Amino acid sequence: MSSPAAHTSRHPSFKQYVAIAIFLFAITIVEFLIILPEGFRGQGWTIAPLSILSAIKFAAVIFFYMHLKFDNRLLTWIFLGGLALGFAVTFALIGLFSAFTPSPRPYAQANAVAFEHAAESEGEHVETPADAESPEPKPEPADSSPTQPAPAAASDSLAAEGQAVFTGAGICMTCHTIEGVPGAVGVIGPDLTHIATEAATRKPGMSAEEYLYESIQEPEIFIAEGVERALPGLMTDAIVSGLTDADVDALVVFLLAQE
Amino acid sequence: MAHQGETSHHAAPGAGHTEEETTTTGINHRKLLMWVFLSSDCLFFGSLIATYMVYRGQSLVGPYPDSIIDVPITTISTFVLLCSSFAMVQALSATNANNQKGIQLWLLATAFLGVIFIGFQMYEFYAFLKEGLRIDTNLFGATFFTLTGFHGAHVTLGIVWLLGLFFVARKGRLGPRTALDVEIAGLYWHFVDIVWIVIFTLVYLIGGFDSGPSATISIPIDPSILGFLG
Repeated sequence: MSSPAAHTSRHPSFKQYVAIAIFLFAITIVEFLIILPEGFRGQGWTIAPLSILSAIKFAAVIFFYMHLKFDNRLLTWIFLGGLALGFAVTFALIGLFSAFTPSPRPYAQANAVAFEHAAESEGEHVETPADAESPEPKPEPADSSPTQPAPAAASDSLAAEGQAVFTGAGICMTCHTIEGVPGAVGVIGPDLTHIATEAATRKPGMSAEEYLYESIQEPEIFIAEGVERALPGLMTDAIVSGLTDADVDALVVFLLAQE
Repeated sequence: MAHQGETSHHAAPGAGHTEEETTTTGINHRKLLMWVFLSSDCLFFGSLIATYMVYRGQSLVGPYPDSIIDVPITTISTFVLLCSSFAMVQALSATNANNQKGIQLWLLATAFLGVIFIGFQMYEFYAFLKEGLRIDTNLFGATFFTLTGFHGAHVTLGIVWLLGLFFVARKGRLGPRTALDVEIAGLYWHFVDIVWIVIFTLVYLIGGFDSGPSATISIPIDPSILGFLG
């Protein structure tokens, strides 16, 4: 088709290539200057100019360095077609994951599972209710809590039921951590690993059992000191009303084993 | 030069015909294939970039970008990659002009600048690891290392390709008739450059100052959306 000489003449000259290189450097410096003042960094308004500058660089490289400008038009359409699809995929994914809303996003937070916790509970696996209490009935210490008069064997099966509620229908484990309970690694609500011990002292004059009943059925009545409420009002009727009284009874027995 | 003599000897039989090859599109098949590949690679990087953007600011534990991303150093490595693109077009010009010394010099320069860029990236990865950011530390680590790691892999492949061409050039087998070999490698190399232009802007200039999530969330959500989990 074309002789090498004619082919070369369709490409930019050395001087033009140098000019393009300087142009690209200059844009990169401008981009850097935009984010140089500390007050400008990470500001929403910088996204538009930075994106436009980067698009200009992108275009300069593909049209001149990759000489799309001088080549068969079909190549331009093939590449821009793929690029457009790439953009569409990018925006679709961001939209699907509702990442256009300001971060942090509640959905991602609500489903967050702390990686380290998950690893630890695998390794330790100490405090399942079955392990925690001896299956043999043992003599009650004289000063033992009056809230647990039931024989240990009965409370055992009830505690296991409670754990099933905790990790199942109650979805408590989505938000609460209990070390040693598989899956109970949520970080949205307070850690309940030692809730039985803590519950006894939370409200003067209220036993651990009474406190747990109140906290499950009316979570908003009392917020313990030092509890960071990631999502005020999250643990409300929508979660608790789905539980039967028997579920709540089992749950309380299970939680009372978390000393 | 001895090489010059050999060039015409070697180039004459095999090469040359690629340019006169008849195709329905009027575009050489190898070149068309490279452009189609680059077009599809846009989707590959598009999805990696989308993943980074989706999980931006969602890490629950540090280190977060604002504490470890070093924008000035990365600006320098961006310059290095831009320079390598300039060296690449010079290599193609030298090939078209049958400037044997120029071909070797510019190909080697391009590969060398690519190696420097990879050096910057290895330094950065190492610095991040020392700061406690691994690929499994948080969402930032996972998406950052995946995205920039795949880009680095592209650059590394390009370096191998360029060094291969350099050794072909040393045997005097590159010239105007085999310019397409250099041109296609150049297309790949420039593509790697433009991907970095996008990554540099999004991950460093825009996302480099992200911090962790705030302690509390002010947006109330309907707890019933959690129902399907049970």
